[in-house]
Order: sequence, then C-alpha cells, then structure tokens
Amino acid sequence: MLRRDFVRAVISFLFAAKVSRAQQANDPTLPPPAPVPWTLGLNSRTPIPATQLPDEIAATELRFFSEKQMATLMRLSDVLLPPLNGKPGAVEAQTPIFLDFLIGSSPEPRRKTYSGGLDWLEAASLAKFQAAFAKLNDSQAGDLLKPWLRTWMSDHPPTEPHAEFINIAHDDIRMATINSKVWSDVPSVGAEESAEVALYWSPIEPDIYGPEGSGHIPPHVQAAPKAAHAMPSYPR
Amino acid sequence: MRNETYDVLIIGSGHSGGMAAKVLTEAGIRCLMLNAGPVADVLRDAARKPAYELPYRGFRPPGRIEHVFQSNEFNANVWVDEEEVPYTFDPGQPYNWVRVRLFGGRSLFWSRQSFRLSDYEFKGKSHDGFGEDWPISYADLAPYYSRVERIFRVAGALDGPPQMPDGSFILDDSRWSGSMQRFIAAAKPRNIPVCKQRRALGVDGLASSVNLLLPDAGRTGNLTSIADAVVREITVDSNTGLPNGCNFVDRLSRREMSVKARVVVLAAGTLESTRLLLNSNLANSSGLVGRYLTDQIYGAGVVCSVPEARGRKPEDAARGMLMGGTAIVPRFRNIDTKSDKFLRGYAFNVSSITGAVAPRNFAAYGAELQRKLDEYYGSGFQMTLMGEVLSRYENHVRIDKDKVDAWDIPVLRIETKYTDNEFNMAQDAVDVGCELAEAAGFEVLSKNPAPNPPGYSIHEIGTCRMGNDPKQSVLNPWCQSHDHKNLFVVDGAAFTSGGWQNPTMTILALSMRASEYLAGEMSKQNI
Repeated sequence: MLRRDFVRAVISFLFAAKVSRAQQANDPTLPPPAPVPWTLGLNSRTPIPATQLPDEIAATELRFFSEKQMATLMRLSDVLLPPLNGKPGAVEAQTPIFLDFLIGSSPEPRRKTYSGGLDWLEAASLAKFQAAFAKLNDSQAGDLLKPWLRTWMSDHPPTEPHAEFINIAHDDIRMATINSKVWSDVPSVGAEESAEVALYWSPIEPDIYGPEGSGHIPPHVQAAPKAAHAMPSYPR
Repeated sequence: MRNETYDVLIIGSGHSGGMAAKVLTEAGIRCLMLNAGPVADVLRDAARKPAYELPYRGFRPPGRIEHVFQSNEFNANVWVDEEEVPYTFDPGQPYNWVRVRLFGGRSLFWSRQSFRLSDYEFKGKSHDGFGEDWPISYADLAPYYSRVERIFRVAGALDGPPQMPDGSFILDDSRWSGSMQRFIAAAKPRNIPVCKQRRALGVDGLASSVNLLLPDAGRTGNLTSIADAVVREITVDSNTGLPNGCNFVDRLSRREMSVKARVVVLAAGTLESTRLLLNSNLANSSGLVGRYLTDQIYGAGVVCSVPEARGRKPEDAARGMLMGGTAIVPRFRNIDTKSDKFLRGYAFNVSSITGAVAPRNFAAYGAELQRKLDEYYGSGFQMTLMGEVLSRYENHVRIDKDKVDAWDIPVLRIETKYTDNEFNMAQDAVDVGCELAEAAGFEVLSKNPAPNPPGYSIHEIGTCRMGNDPKQSVLNPWCQSHDHKNLFVVDGAAFTSGGWQNPTMTILALSMRASEYLAGEMSKQNI
C-alpha cells in the first residue's frame, strides 16, 4: 500500500469510528461505549428475574426435633389438619419441617413446650396403646388429643400442662399450613381460610453501620470480610 | 460550626409533638423537631405480599420483638427492636413496651378510638377518695377536645352518658344491626349504656401527626425537622440552670451533635420523655419523675355466636340485617352505684362480626372443626375489655445503671404490676359479658378473665404527673415543669391518672392547650 493510501485509510477509519460513537451517543438503545463505570447497571427497565421459594425445591435436615419427635409431629399434624375438600393437609404443606425451623429458632420456653409436649404424647401413646403415636389410627389419636382441646382467646392459650402444647401446636400447625404456597394454590371456598396477604414492611433505613452486638441488621450483600491486617486508606 | 438558637426544641413527632409544632409555628415561633427514627415511605419501604413469600410464613420473627403481641412478620420492622433499645424488668412482672420510632411515631398505627375523659376521671378522688384529682377539670379541656375532634374528623353519635361526654362529631346515624339491638335490649334493664363507637376518620384513611398536623406546621415555614436524631440528654445553661437544648447522636453515623433552643418541649412518648428527664437529672425536685405509671387492662373478654346467623350464606339479606357494626359500652360500674370488688370501672368494645369465627373458639380439629367454621361463619359477636388501672406510686420506672442501648444511652427499668383491683375488674367484665350474652340469646364460645401484661394497650401514661403542688407533682396544670419554666412535657406522661378511655384525644387536647399557653407566655416574654 502506498503511504498516501494508508494515511487515507487511517483517516477514514477514524472518521467512521467517530461517526459511530456519535450515533451511539444519540441512540439510547445502544450501550454506552466501554469502558463503563462498574456501578452503571440496574434501571427501571431492567427485567426482574423470576425465582422460586426454596422450600418448594430444596430439602432441609432436622436441626431441632429428634427423629422420634418428628415422627410424632408428622402424625399430629396429619391428624389435626388432614387434607380436606381438595385442600392440602399440614403434611403436604411441609408444616412439620417448617416447625422444626420455626421452633428451633424460638426462645427456650417455646422450644420446651414442643419438645416436652411431643415426648409426653409419645409416652402417653405407648402407655395406652403400646404403640408409637406415629402408628396410631385416627380414633386412637383422638382418644389422646380430645381431652386436652380447649377454647381460648388470642394471646391467652391454656396454661395447664398438655392442653398448652396441644392447643398451641394446633394453632401453629393451622397457621403454617394456611399460609403455605400449596394451600394458596387451591382456591378457598366458603369458610375455608386463605393465606394472609398484607403490606410487608422492609427494614426502614436499618442501622447497618452499628457496632457488633448493637442489634443492627446486617446488609444482605456483605463486602469482603475485614482483613486482619491494616488496609491502606485513600480516596479511590 | 452552626450555632443557631431555635425558639423551641420539640423532641418527638407523634400526636403530641405534631400538635405542639402546629400550634407553636402557627403562632410565629421557630421550632426544631427531632425524631429518633427515620421517615417511612410506604412506596419505598412496603409492598403487598402473601405470607408464604416471607421466611416465617407470617409468624412473628422468633425472639426479636417478644413483647409486641401486636406484631407479626408483615409489620415486624416498624416496631422498636428490643435488642437495639432494650429495657429491663423483673422476669416475674413483664412489661410490654410497644414502641415506634418512625417519623410520626405511634400516630401512624393507632386504632383511632377517640374519647374524652370526664370529671369521673379528672376528679376521681373527689368521687371515690382514691389517688389524686387532676389540677384541671373537664370544663378546662372541653374546648380543646372540640378543636382536636374537628382536625381528626371524629365520627360518633351524640349518645354519651355523663361519663362519656359528647363532642364535635361527624354524626354517625347508621342503624343498629339486629344482633346489636338484641344486645342493647339485654343491657338496658341492667343500666348498662350502649353507644355508637367513636373513631377518628382522619383523611385518606390515616389520622396521624404526619398528615393532619405536621403539614400545617411545615406550611408556616417555621418548622425545621431532623430524623434519626437519638437524644442523649437535655443540656442546661450553666449560668441560669435552665434547659437550653440537647445533645443527640445521629442514629446511623453515630456522630455526636447538639442543638440550642430557648424552650424544650418533650413529646417523645410517655416513657421516652421520662427516660430523657431521668438521664438528664432534670425536673425532679419532687422525686416523682417516673412514678405513677399506669395504663389500661386489655385482653379479657367474651366471644359469642348469634345462633340465628349460623348456616346462612354471606349473600343472605337476613344475615346482613342481623349482623355487623360496632359499639362502645362506656364505664357503668361505680357511677351511681358502688362495687365492693373494685374501684373505678371498665368499658367494652363490642363487635358484631360478619366474617370468620377464629378456630380457637372451638374444641375440635380436622373435618369436625371445618364443619364448625362453615356453620358459624358470619355469626361472631365479641366484647373485649378496656379497664382503668389505678395510679399507684409503686408502679414506676427508673434508670437501669447496668444496661445501655445501641447508642450507649442508659435504659429504663420498668417495675409495675396489676393488683386485685384490676384482676377483679377483669373477672367482673367476663361475668357481665356472659350475662349479657345469655340474656341476648347468644352462645358463649370462649372467655378470658386474664389481662395481658401491663403496657400491652400501648396506653402508658403518668410518670410526670401534673398537679398544683410542686412537692406532689412534676408538672403544673399547663404541662410545664415546676422546676424549670422553659421545660414542658406534652405527651401522656403528664396524666395525673387514667381512665377506661383511649388517651389519644386527651394527649392531643393537653398538648394543644399547653402549646397555646407556651406561645402566650413567649409573646409576653415571660419565658
């Protein structure tokens, strides 16, 4: 290539690139030329990724109840809220394993109510029927449960032993089941209860800078953990 | 460095602080308002969700706000976190301190029941010999109640007996449903009055400081507000000994800051105002700051069913005539007669329920329970108690020297308990409720005579009571400190005693009255 032709080619390339950049700048549908600041990104037109609830997909291991307590709770849940009129029951709603999570996270008195209550129910079943509660038929389970059913007003469950556990567990099993996705997937008819749908408040400007142990809510995305050594500090 | 001195520093932005800001700024007074928490924006901070999308399926997050029975997973983030701002108490005598620090405070979420006190409360000692009379009477406050009711658009009927004075209402002339008529007929021969409920309608479904009071203050150009300002202590001029501002810590950055003002108005809510006074060692020559904490007993009541409403479909017109509506039964004990079981009295909130009856009202499970729920749907009728708690010296708060909050501010220790007077009152309410239900032909499904823990009603009052004698009270009849003429407490702390009535209208009327007095004194240069 002659030197003259080369110079012309370079000039025309540079001109074309400039025109192209100008077109890009005027065309909002095209991305800005690289390099872009890494903080550019999400905007009001960004599609929201569709996700599933984890407890519809994934399994969890028992972390609070023993295997035996869980077997008792499974049967108790099935007896107190079985599948009815096309609605799923407590077992289909994964309520027992959810309660393992909820009660296991709860303060000690609530945990005691459950673990003590399940152990008592198993012992009562062995004493009366010489069989584990998990193996009882509906009628036998009813013989053990019905004497302890009470009516009560909110915030005031019965306080007598056994009745406390049975009535609190019944209330929790119903709420956890009715507020589950699978219950909600089957339309409620008549007086059948529906999953609660309400205004959920996110943390409002939470205290994410608070010192350790101040009760602050940590951000859901953490920066890299603090290094053991001193980090240089300068404006970036 | 800024060194501006405001005319008035208002600490707190709820009903009482909002009213003070409105009155003072409209009188041309420059006010600075501090609020301990952030501004809530429902579009930014909230969204409708089904419970199954939340980690705990709608259950209250375990262990976080154990003493807020009103909380659930949907609203868990609007209450004060008990780990961030703790308080202490004897484990055998728990206290439910229910707090909101968002801008507007608890005025954002209150139930909006709107009653006046009467001279059965203001002059209770004169009536039955217990406690102390207020230094003001109903006649002193009545004009302020009327103005507050017009701002808050209180709906009600002019049907109150002397113990429930009528007001400037948007008149409720709705017809009673059939079940309510039967209840009224059962109550009448027993001299128990049944009246229309009284409720603030507000504007756009909200009756709060942030939409009914603060916008007026803002329009004057005289209000400056700071959010997330956690006040550490009120400061004092070393020459005069008078309060002259406060030190606060920014909630998020933890920067320590201070502001100056000629007058300090405390409106942080009964116990936070008192905590500030105690942490600042102010206004306590009587030794009574923190004393005479009281509230109302809640939690007791009776749930019934109206048999004729059962088994009907929701679209059944006959059920529509029979069920629905609410009523208030104002105090009827110890008015013309004298109970030998307790002093003072209680009210009933009465509801005729057109929706579901809660499963806990039936001793059944599984298919049998579902049959009951189907049958009883739309037949519920309930009476719940609101009772006066006697104002006692020993029920008190003080600073717990061993514990601080997230900003190193010493916390409150709360020592209060109910006595036989309250327990007997609750039992009487359940007995009367069952008697009325039986007389009306209703079936009693469940009942409960046990009150919720103190504090549950979110009606804590007292701890800086007003009076004429500086040795027997913290504030004078204008909510002004006996000790410091430029210090006012305009929230529920000023109450000398309580009543069966929700206190909000009285808090608003007292704040309006105190603020107008303050504006007058400032214009006369007395303060």
